[in-house]
Amino acid sequence: MNPNDSDASRFRPAAADRRGEQDLDDLLVHVARGDQDAFETLYDRMVGPVYGVIRKVLRDPSQSEEVAQEVLLEVWRTAARFDPAMGGAATWVTTIAHRRAIDRIRSTTAAADREQRQVEVSPPHDEVADAVEASLDRERVRRCLDALTEIQRESITLAYYGGNSYRQVAELLNVTLGAIKTRIRDGLIRLRDCLGVS
Amino acid sequence: MRLLRQDLHTLTGAYALDAMDSASEVARFSRHLTRCQSCASEVRGFREVATAMAFAATTEPPAEMRDRVMAAVARTRQLPPEVKTHARPRRARDTAPWIPWLSGAVATAAIAVAVFFGFTQAHTQDQLNAARAQNHTLAAEQARVEAELTQAKQHDQALAKILGAPHVTLLSQRTTKGGVAVVVLDAAARQLVVATSGLPALPAGKVYQLWLIGPVKIVSAGLLPAAQAGATTPVVATGIVKGDKLGLTVEPAGGSKQPTTTPILALPLPV
Repeated sequence: MNPNDSDASRFRPAAADRRGEQDLDDLLVHVARGDQDAFETLYDRMVGPVYGVIRKVLRDPSQSEEVAQEVLLEVWRTAARFDPAMGGAATWVTTIAHRRAIDRIRSTTAAADREQRQVEVSPPHDEVADAVEASLDRERVRRCLDALTEIQRESITLAYYGGNSYRQVAELLNVTLGAIKTRIRDGLIRLRDCLGVS
Repeated sequence: MRLLRQDLHTLTGAYALDAMDSASEVARFSRHLTRCQSCASEVRGFREVATAMAFAATTEPPAEMRDRVMAAVARTRQLPPEVKTHARPRRARDTAPWIPWLSGAVATAAIAVAVFFGFTQAHTQDQLNAARAQNHTLAAEQARVEAELTQAKQHDQALAKILGAPHVTLLSQRTTKGGVAVVVLDAAARQLVVATSGLPALPAGKVYQLWLIGPVKIVSAGLLPAAQAGATTPVVATGIVKGDKLGLTVEPAGGSKQPTTTPILALPLPV
């Protein structure tokens, strides 16, 4: 195991820093034991990011709500399978959320919808800048995204917020597959250093 | 294959963002991750970046959603903790003969470490360091095997992960009926590996069952596999909370929901 994988190295949402709330990992361990109160607390802490990231990917509010509900129920059902060695609870939950959103667009959406959706992807820079509410997390991520090269920033936002595969990103940006893989990785390394998560 | 390998390394980013091109590519890269420590660690870091991006996208859903989720939760059964039994796989004709013995070898080594130090509860730094060094070798051994096996051996990776964790604590205690239980505890990950040696043989229809005995609740941590030459192969238990003790009882075959006999072991777990 990487010696850097201590709790301190994990991404800590600004909201948690501010309120000094109960460690999310502990909450999840209680949830795993059937503690519904713990689940309610976890819900209140995680529903914003869960719904938010799904909404970014799917865009449609009612579909997003449906997927978010499935994700939160999955968190309840499989909490005992959470493995802290693989990352923190926040990461576990948001990874499930993002994956389920991706599953949804890659499985059911008709090709036509997909085309339509891609056209709607606004310039990534604005995606973040357009934020409704300037939270600390948003501010921190925006600042770090700003520090990337344009192609790194676009690759990462088209992939993560846009829900595109790296092949689709390569097509959208008219860059080779090899170049896109490298840009995504290089960009993530810079973001990681900027956000101080490693 | 150098080119292909390098190509694989650059996929850490796309993998962490769920932006792989196909399910088969995901499967291939997941296998690669079990062998490439630096890739796995990079993916973990990238997933935290993704987490930060999810938090940055925070949007409040309609308020009614909360009630719907809570109602669904109240009627949804949870999956039990993943208690993986490291039973010795049957010898397959087409695998190298030493591979199936690995789990047993790890258990034996863990017990050997405990016996060597002769402690009932390891606490000194020296002992921990020595145990760690030993575990390191075990993890390396495990990693070699993993390179040759496919995902079918997932459970052994869980074991390797605990044994290779940076801050494990080695605990051992005699049971009240004789025999010894050896625990490698990864407190940070709230999981442990337990193996036993010399427990009294049980009559037919009885099994040994492990428990996490907490201040509030007792939860099953699975059954001990049948002993081979007096020793049981390692079992992984997850989801330990503060105040838990590792308990062991004799139960009817198949195990019980809650202990039905007096524990013959109640080992405090410092997490």
